[in-house]
Amino acid sequence: MKRVAAALTAWLDDRAGIRAMRRRWLDEPLPPGTGWWFTLGSVLLFGLGLQTVSGILLALYYAPTPDHAWDSVRFITLAVPGGHFLRGLHHWGASVVVVAAGLHLVRVVVFGSYRKPRELNWLFGLALLGVILALGLTGYLLPWDQRAYWATVVSINIAKLTPVAGEWIAGLLRGGADVGALTLTRWYAIHIVVLPAVLGALVIGHLYLMRRHGISGPIERQAGVPQTFFPYQAARDLTVCGAVSVVLAGLAWYGAPELEAPADPTSSDFVPRPEWYFLGLFQLLKYFPGRLEVFGALVIPGLAAILLALLPWIDRGRSREWRSRRVVLGAFAAGVTGVIALTVLGALDRSSRTSSWSVRELAGAVLLTSGDRCTKCHRADGAAAPIEAGRISRAQDWLAMHVADPEVIAAGLREPLPSDEREIAAIGAALARLRAGPAPMLDDPTRRIMVVMNATCLGCHIIDGVGGTDGPELSKVGRLYDAASIERRIVNPAAVKPGAQMPALGGKLTPEEIRDIARWLAAKK
Amino acid sequence: MNASPHDRRSVLVKLVMAGAALIGAGFAGLAGLVAAPRLTRPARRWRRALPLTDVAGTGPVSVVIAERHADGWYETRKQTVVFIDREGDGFRALSAVCQHLGCRVRWDHGQTQFLCPCHRGVYDRDGRVISGPPPRPLERFAVRVNPQTAELEVEL
Repeated sequence: MKRVAAALTAWLDDRAGIRAMRRRWLDEPLPPGTGWWFTLGSVLLFGLGLQTVSGILLALYYAPTPDHAWDSVRFITLAVPGGHFLRGLHHWGASVVVVAAGLHLVRVVVFGSYRKPRELNWLFGLALLGVILALGLTGYLLPWDQRAYWATVVSINIAKLTPVAGEWIAGLLRGGADVGALTLTRWYAIHIVVLPAVLGALVIGHLYLMRRHGISGPIERQAGVPQTFFPYQAARDLTVCGAVSVVLAGLAWYGAPELEAPADPTSSDFVPRPEWYFLGLFQLLKYFPGRLEVFGALVIPGLAAILLALLPWIDRGRSREWRSRRVVLGAFAAGVTGVIALTVLGALDRSSRTSSWSVRELAGAVLLTSGDRCTKCHRADGAAAPIEAGRISRAQDWLAMHVADPEVIAAGLREPLPSDEREIAAIGAALARLRAGPAPMLDDPTRRIMVVMNATCLGCHIIDGVGGTDGPELSKVGRLYDAASIERRIVNPAAVKPGAQMPALGGKLTPEEIRDIARWLAAKK
Repeated sequence: MNASPHDRRSVLVKLVMAGAALIGAGFAGLAGLVAAPRLTRPARRWRRALPLTDVAGTGPVSVVIAERHADGWYETRKQTVVFIDREGDGFRALSAVCQHLGCRVRWDHGQTQFLCPCHRGVYDRDGRVISGPPPRPLERFAVRVNPQTAELEVEL
């Protein structure tokens, strides 16, 4: 067996020169004192490899079209064996790559490794960082959920701020007149073909230049014998990559963040937030209102990038010691602190708007499951599949039509239901919410009053952003009145406030309903 | 007169370089042609919004105007959100697109302001910027009353 392997190696060496290649690639002598700090580049390379493999596996199932992207991502998560883990791996892997790239950059600056003759490789590294961030941005759109759609609308509008060529660049990014099907295919091609190709070329260039000049080694030259990369540094690389893998696998086990509802260009209740590594830029935008916007969006980040690129020419002394580079290192530390501070501020600055279910959505969820309106057909052994959260894939306008007239797909199955506009609206709203996740559990009295409030109160009052505008908003009515006072106002408004426009509901609703509604509203503070 | 081998070599070098440049330019032209965005929008026309009676004057009413829309190969229903309100004797229609970075604004009945959830842009009832980053007021669309149907129409 051993003889066969030796013969095979000799045969290959004769034809491909593999022994020389191995010596050339793996036996690179490293300066004495090269240690753990020099594993960061390898972690980055490992992360990029991982993203490539997990990305290829995702591409086996993903469909880049507005009507299928969201469904295909949901299919990957729910139905593909290991798909939940795979999507988690690709999601968290992106963060690992960004963190590794950031730490690698900090290491290079602190060690002064960009000094002559390694300036060109420094520029290659910065270009790589740009490509990595662009991959993060383009990948964000692909699930085609609310988060993806709105983050893309915002980033394309930021590109529009570019002086002179802004509209042109935004058009090139959009592909069409609006963010839509043409944007999705375009970003998909950029994400899986264009950027990986550029990334591969840059990585090869980066490694070639690294080998051409050798690694910079410790800040102060140390005495000793150079060690070969293999197996000494390789063992350190493997240890760190192994530790990163364990953390990553743990994160991936919990999967990527849940899909939001599918992209809906008309919704106004979604607050877009970028991925965490863009939060700093997102936060910076808030400090530059109106026409100053371009400073936050492009000028400051652009100047920072230019300063970074010029570092090898700004910091040109002979010694790489910290004492002789105080100004450069101080400025760099201030910049890094600024980025971290902006990111933290951006992370803390969450909108106060909660994403709890509105009365209309809750009423719809109740209507879906009570009586046999929907469950007559939508049940385990019924004519149609049960209605399950996260498994609704029909477009919203199809659903609206189907709820109003279920016979559209099942002619003659049953008599058309007496249609009630508000109930239909509630069922439609609930179905839209159920795409992303299950409805909250409610006790029986609350289930009852949700339906009553949807049919009665929402006609004139807004509660949590939904409802009519003839009466006052009730979202925080509990701050003004207690339950007893609200109850009196529902039974007979004119008795409490003469001349009130609101009809007395004492005869229309049961006393229990009125009591429960008043209690529920009094809790709204 | 015979050209020296050296001359022949340099001419050949130039020819090869020119040929390679030509092929490169061809690919660049093709890439530019294919990758150029399709930006043409359909011409504006009047679209039905809602019955006159639905605009009571108590605040802007949001209307979703849907139309069939070709998005490349993908046919979809493009939905535009418009806020319609009374303005003196007439009407006003405001786009719901925040002029900052294109998020969707909503009308807050309590504060009687349009609020953008993304970067805290705030507009008044007329669409003028009150605070936050938006550089321009909300876009206005032309509105007219169709006397036959007693409906409001918006030019989109």
